Amino acid sequence: MTPESPDTPLIALLDRVALADESALRELYDLTSSKLYGVAVRVVTNREWAEDVLQEAYLTIWRVAGDYRATLSPPMAWMGLVVRSRGLDFLRRRTAERADHVQELDDVISDTVAGDSPNPMDTTQASEQAWALHQCLNQLDNKQREVVSLAYLRDLSHGELATQLKLPLGTVKTWIRRGLEQLRGCMARFA
Amino acid sequence: MNLNNNPALIDQLAASYALGTLRGGARRRFETLARDNAPLRAAALIWQSRLASVAELQPELAPSPAVWKRIENLVSADQQARAMQAARAASQAPVSAPASRWWSSLGWWRGATAAGAFATMIAVVTGLSLTQHLNSQVRELSARLSQAPDIQYVAVLADGKATASMLVTFDPKNKKLVLKRVSSFQAQPGKSLELWALPPGAAPRSLGVLADQPVMQLTATESGLREVPMLAITLEPQGGVPPGSGPTGPLLFKGALLQTAK
Repeated sequence: MTPESPDTPLIALLDRVALADESALRELYDLTSSKLYGVAVRVVTNREWAEDVLQEAYLTIWRVAGDYRATLSPPMAWMGLVVRSRGLDFLRRRTAERADHVQELDDVISDTVAGDSPNPMDTTQASEQAWALHQCLNQLDNKQREVVSLAYLRDLSHGELATQLKLPLGTVKTWIRRGLEQLRGCMARFA
Repeated sequence: MNLNNNPALIDQLAASYALGTLRGGARRRFETLARDNAPLRAAALIWQSRLASVAELQPELAPSPAVWKRIENLVSADQQARAMQAARAASQAPVSAPASRWWSSLGWWRGATAAGAFATMIAVVTGLSLTQHLNSQVRELSARLSQAPDIQYVAVLADGKATASMLVTFDPKNKKLVLKRVSSFQAQPGKSLELWALPPGAAPRSLGVLADQPVMQLTATESGLREVPMLAITLEPQGGVPPGSGPTGPLLFKGALLQTAK
């Protein structure tokens, strides 16, 4: 990591947050909330829920920022994991609360899978590790990339993906298998 | 099948494991193997870390400004709770773990006294569906704490899922114990909610039966609440248990009682 890496100021802020510095949390929020809200929306598919998840995520970061350094992860990746796991908790709680739970898939997502529109990947603040993944994901076709991304972000099985995306199970399995194969070949070059 | 002679298979399994599409029995077998197989474990960690960057590539979207206000309020409350806990720890000798037969049988009580202050605030901040409502309650409570120096004790009672349900404040001068509901929980017909003090090393002591109003007032003395680390609410027959007897029904809510002053 070079000193100019976007990671450097974020790591410094996380160190200050670990010491219960509220102003550092504010700065961190200003720098990262749009990216992390984007993640939350992708995980829970609903903007209002995503705001609750975002709030939970920053309170988690506030409490466990001291654990960050030991993870050896890029800061955005670590915070992204916090958001994803709070988002998955949120969905589990909702599912537990309502037996008649129906996953409401938002239009943005069904469109990106149904059509063949370019995937709106965004490299703002991306770590070097994320740049490598970005290059490799770019080599997949849009549908494969989207299915692989959603499988990960929402922790979905082949069957759940097929239901949510209204695709045949065999198609989902093939896309995931081929997508992962290509990703493996590509990521191997980045060590 | 010797996995170690097959790096491609190791990589393939690790990638599916990290992505989450390796499920059921296959996932459990992978986990068992990985515990004894360092290359497999290493491959899984590499893929977990690579895929974590999927989150970094998602499109940005601005959250509403209200989100930061909510976070700010909860962080302030958290800071306040830490300060209270520190003050309480400094002013009091450690309270021994409570050991009455009724509640020592309930595992989820344990260890609650020392961690009580912080855990209580976590209870506040994790009640997602309630947070908005709760934020205003916390603000109001903070305001009251600063304006009304005679409120010397406060508790947030939460259920087993750490969803806050009841705010309790105690004014020893006026012997007033005020309970405010922050969730919509109601006892079913024919049942009553009863509030208990849980003194360490002694049987729970009833503080009174709750009415159905959102805000209730009970009378209590400071000697009855001093040295009481926890309060609890149980579901009892209508009108509560006969005087002098202990709780009979299930435990619904509990929380640490914190001294705000000194």
